[in-house]
Amino acid sequence: MSLLPGIIILIGAALNVIAGIGLVRFESPYARFHAAGKASPVAFLVIALGAGLEMGGTAALHLAVAAVGLVLTLPVGVHLLFRAVHRTTPGDHLRVDDLRDAEAKRFG
Amino acid sequence: MITTIALIACGVTAACAVWRLVVGPTLAGRIAALDVALISLMGAIAIHAAETDERAWLDLLVVIAIIGFTATVAVSRFVEHEAESS
Repeated sequence: MSLLPGIIILIGAALNVIAGIGLVRFESPYARFHAAGKASPVAFLVIALGAGLEMGGTAALHLAVAAVGLVLTLPVGVHLLFRAVHRTTPGDHLRVDDLRDAEAKRFG
Repeated sequence: MITTIALIACGVTAACAVWRLVVGPTLAGRIAALDVALISLMGAIAIHAAETDERAWLDLLVVIAIIGFTATVAVSRFVEHEAESS
């Protein structure tokens, strides 16, 4: 395990721990979704970069496919969670909520 | 030595996710915890594959990414209907 990929993997693992801590410490579900939807894919991207540097050609391709697959799909899933929570909870987490007026107008 | 530290970090993230899974008040918060746990599992697999230079593990990453996404989408529908039933 040469030095540079190891350092990159360590940085990715540290980002991953930050995502986990963000998931634990944030109060409102919306803030937790940021930790789950954004911090953890970035952490995996950095880990995949380090592992790709370490392992070379075809394996780096596998990792690139997994990283692109994750980054493209996971924010959509977490956005659906956002929308589901936004439509069901009365909205006490948010101070400013422009979407609620638009939804009220549209759904009547 | 470096990879063991990284794997322990991924374990700590999974522990945070399990804690949120157990405690988490809302169902949607639990699903986000599952996502974080899955991605830390993917990170651990990538680190292990980098350390032992095994190519077989890498196909698993794509599968976990897609299944994690599908599960999140499927369960977010239950979150919407859960409010109507309760």
